[in-house]
Amino acid sequence: MSKRPEEFRLDAGFWKVTGVLGIISALLMIGVAVFPIDSVLREASSVSTSIDFLFRFMAFFSVPIIVFVNGYIIYFAVRYRRRKDEPIASVGSPIHDHRALENTWMVVPTILMVVLGVLSYLAIPQYYLRGKDSAATLEAIGHTFYFEFRYPGLSHSVDEDLYLPVGVPVTIDLTSAEADEHLAVIHSFWVPEFRVKQDMIPGMIVPIHFTPTLIGKYDLICTEFCGVGHSEMRGHVLVVSRADFDAWYAGQQKSAAAKGARTIKLAAGNVSSGQAIFSQKCTACHNAAPFDQRKVGPGLENLFHDPAHPNLVDGKPANAADVAWILEHGFQGSMGAMPNQQANGLSSKDIADLIAYLQTLK
Amino acid sequence: MSTTELLDVHPSSRIHPAPQGFISKYVFSLDHKVIAVQYFITSGLFFVLAGLLAELLRVQLTQPHNTFLDSATFNEAFTVHGSSMVWLVTIPVLTGGFGNLIMPLQIGARDVAYPWLNMVSFWLFPPAGILLFGSFLLGAPQAGWTEYPPVSVLASPGTSMWCAAIFLIGISSTITGINFLVTIIKMRAPGMTWTRMPLFVWASAVTAFLNFIATANLSISLAVLFMQRVFHVPFYDPTRGGSPILWQHMFWFYSHPAVYIMILPAFGIISEVLPTMVRRPIFGYKAIAYSSVAIGLVSFMVWAHHMFTSGLAQWIQLPFMIMTMIVAIPTGVKVFSWVATLWGGRIRFTTPLLFALGFLSTFTFGGITGVFLASVPVDVHEHGTYFIVAHLHYVLFGGSIFGMFAGLYYWWPKMTGRMLNETLGKWHFWVMFVAFNATFLPMHWLGLLGMPRRVATYDPVFHGTNLFVSISAFVLGASMLIFAFNALRSARFGKPAGPNPWGGRTLEWMIPSPPPYYNFKELPVVVSGPYDYGKPLPYRNIDPAIMQLADAPAY
Amino acid sequence: MDDAAYAEQRDIRLLGFLFFLVSDSIFFGSLIFAYLYLRNSSPVWPPPGIERPDVYLAAVNSVVLFGSGVTMHFAMEGMRHDRKRRFVGFIVATIVLGALFVGGQVIEYVKLLPVDKWAGSTFGASFYTLTGMHGLHVSVGVVFLTTVLIQTLRGTYTKDRHFGLTAATLYWHFVDIIWVALFFLFYIY
Repeated sequence: MSKRPEEFRLDAGFWKVTGVLGIISALLMIGVAVFPIDSVLREASSVSTSIDFLFRFMAFFSVPIIVFVNGYIIYFAVRYRRRKDEPIASVGSPIHDHRALENTWMVVPTILMVVLGVLSYLAIPQYYLRGKDSAATLEAIGHTFYFEFRYPGLSHSVDEDLYLPVGVPVTIDLTSAEADEHLAVIHSFWVPEFRVKQDMIPGMIVPIHFTPTLIGKYDLICTEFCGVGHSEMRGHVLVVSRADFDAWYAGQQKSAAAKGARTIKLAAGNVSSGQAIFSQKCTACHNAAPFDQRKVGPGLENLFHDPAHPNLVDGKPANAADVAWILEHGFQGSMGAMPNQQANGLSSKDIADLIAYLQTLK
Repeated sequence: MSTTELLDVHPSSRIHPAPQGFISKYVFSLDHKVIAVQYFITSGLFFVLAGLLAELLRVQLTQPHNTFLDSATFNEAFTVHGSSMVWLVTIPVLTGGFGNLIMPLQIGARDVAYPWLNMVSFWLFPPAGILLFGSFLLGAPQAGWTEYPPVSVLASPGTSMWCAAIFLIGISSTITGINFLVTIIKMRAPGMTWTRMPLFVWASAVTAFLNFIATANLSISLAVLFMQRVFHVPFYDPTRGGSPILWQHMFWFYSHPAVYIMILPAFGIISEVLPTMVRRPIFGYKAIAYSSVAIGLVSFMVWAHHMFTSGLAQWIQLPFMIMTMIVAIPTGVKVFSWVATLWGGRIRFTTPLLFALGFLSTFTFGGITGVFLASVPVDVHEHGTYFIVAHLHYVLFGGSIFGMFAGLYYWWPKMTGRMLNETLGKWHFWVMFVAFNATFLPMHWLGLLGMPRRVATYDPVFHGTNLFVSISAFVLGASMLIFAFNALRSARFGKPAGPNPWGGRTLEWMIPSPPPYYNFKELPVVVSGPYDYGKPLPYRNIDPAIMQLADAPAY
Repeated sequence: MDDAAYAEQRDIRLLGFLFFLVSDSIFFGSLIFAYLYLRNSSPVWPPPGIERPDVYLAAVNSVVLFGSGVTMHFAMEGMRHDRKRRFVGFIVATIVLGALFVGGQVIEYVKLLPVDKWAGSTFGASFYTLTGMHGLHVSVGVVFLTTVLIQTLRGTYTKDRHFGLTAATLYWHFVDIIWVALFFLFYIY
């Protein structure tokens, strides 16, 4: 035991300990491989399984690293401690390095990282693209301190509780807004059991795309600090059968303006004022031409009647309230961002005038 | 070249006259060792204050809907806690404290390149701390140490004070960074080539580089935030063409290198403590040295991994994910090298060694959870939750603070001439190590299951775990009292340490404890690296009586 | 102090000063990044209601500043070849041209009043912050150069010992290079 190892040789004791650590690792790795994640946190969306798989993959390979690092620390600390009968100045092995070993512990983690990177890359696309197969595009708007949801075809919004039909792919456009533009802050839309999270950022519209796969009631939690009410900013996502969803939706359509209704009452605008504003502020990007004759943004002729104008807000051709909403909030289009009311220097009266003018473009 | 000729090349080898008078000696001192003590005392004070804030947070969180702190006060508490721990504790103590105390000694210099600027660097620090804590008077900032707009523009008058405070610290860091890197490049003792430098000096060099490159960016970000609050410029204002995401890019471009500023010196400390307590060369010297450089460079290329849920385009997320995974590799190399250093040693279980071992365990765990967060899809689930709180405390507390204590126990005898009590030190270590894991390990679980961060209230289903965490946190705080008592006690009862109680081989152990103001009577000449235990010491011009102590550690 | 000691000290100071300039570049680089980011996220640039500032005054001002870079170079040559009158002449020219540049910037700012219209837009905010930061640097440079002039007249700086002048020259060229970038970004691109 007091012999100084001049060369690098791993003795029998080392291999025994390695074996023990290997067994401990293997057992824990099996535990990680079979651990029922969904029994502690339900996997309730189409993206949950791939994220849980990635997490499990990483935990699987983390276990041996943690076990062996800690294990060797303890083993070496015991095995290579200075014994009481050895002089306090006893010197250890003079070995400075070991190329093969160092190369190994550089190459193996690198390979692991590459594999991890590839697997992660493959899991990303599910998330952020506007789903081509989405049955619907909803909007979720963060406010201080509650969530607002807008459904295509509903003229009023729903607060706190997001109803979704099970098994139907959905895209949700996320943003943040306040009645006073200047007070909007960043929030985040997090449903742990969906493994879905995306920040809600004022001035941006960011889509997320997934399919809820399990009927149930799930927590929706704001997870980006937004002010004194941040801790309490929560909602629910209720995933129901398609029949129940249709029934709920029908009920919403029937009810009168619900709480948080966003219908905008516009005074009648002045057409010629609107025309002046249009030529001054809008013609940089738009023109009074058919839809597909784009400048930066689409042509605005026949805005209220041409079905070519996409459902920007609620799934039907634009109405005055929709256009007003876009003028107020701006819009993240495919060709760039349309500035909002403040950036364009538009008053509410200007908006009313613009709408009146646009309504004359046939 | 004869020794005399070598010395003529270094006019700085001449000893300057001793400082006179209380003010020159202890207040506006130009001596790097005195400045180091000033940093230690000041950051020690802020460590206590920031720690108390954390304990207040944990009291609030003992119950799901507690009313101990109202929401606004809670927010202020975690914001000032985080901001102080980063800017008033970890960065100053590791760079201003250990960097100042040890680096010049380890390179065989009489002082740093610009002693007057060193003094200025320090004196920017107390006003910054006063401004930051003073913000409580006006309404402290509430949006976390990251202060994302628009919230940081809208709320809390004290946020402007926060901007000014951190700006001052930034100037201090920048000056220190330039100072230290020039010192290391230009003022090493004759014969000390780069590959004969102690590893703490390598770490200090890379940290210094990060300090003056990254901090300039922070200063601008803060200045712009301040201008937006006061003069209403629209940089981060989405209603006027600006973007809150711009702040995130600018802030994290500094703040990611900043976390390496906070850990690299701790890595350096571990690389010093281990060989001395194991009495064999550090394993993989070149790997550890070069990996520090690699980490420093790559640290500038990973910042957006803090922004994976901020609506970044996918083509941006991908390279940041890759670079973040890459930066884990050199860190892993270090950990494996340190563990391999234990192999074949003759280990003495002194308190510094225990803290180094504790560091190895906790920092490795923190590094691994960092890899989890590198993966975009997994980060999406974990961002903004207690998983992040757990990760950051494992690397910053388990890493930087455990490293700090390893260094404190190791170099206390050099700084003060007295030993800290070993029994008290061991109690401190074990209570802290157990309490640390008990406090922060469950937080991973909390985050994964759905507890967000920065919340004063939470879902009652997490009550039991939070209560357990809080109690552990109180024990963790209490463990610091053991150190405080030990430190104060050592002034009177600490055993006189002598120049080299641990049998170290780096140059700081070749002079008396505490060192005379001029450090070395004659500048040493270095003929090989410092970690070759068993071989003769590679120095000339060192007092032979002191040299002998390297082969006769007392502990 | 003897030559060896001076050479060592100069070496140490020069490296630190270079690192300072690197840090300063990051300072400007950050703001330039912010400007490019804001520009890139806006579909129309300059934003509605803002016209680009007139390039002519800025071009004249640029010539003034670059000219001062030339005179600075000759001032340094003068010092190196111990031609004191040449040095004084050129450094005074540099100082005057530098001050004229700052004056030109002030005129530019006055022409762009009211400030609100400008500071309220992302173009204006970036413009004022970047050119203002630069103008501040030029002003500090003018003071720096004046100090160097005074030190030379007092005899502190000589043909062989003039680190302050070396630093000032580097600083002045740095300020010129930054202006190239700013001129291009705001007036041309």
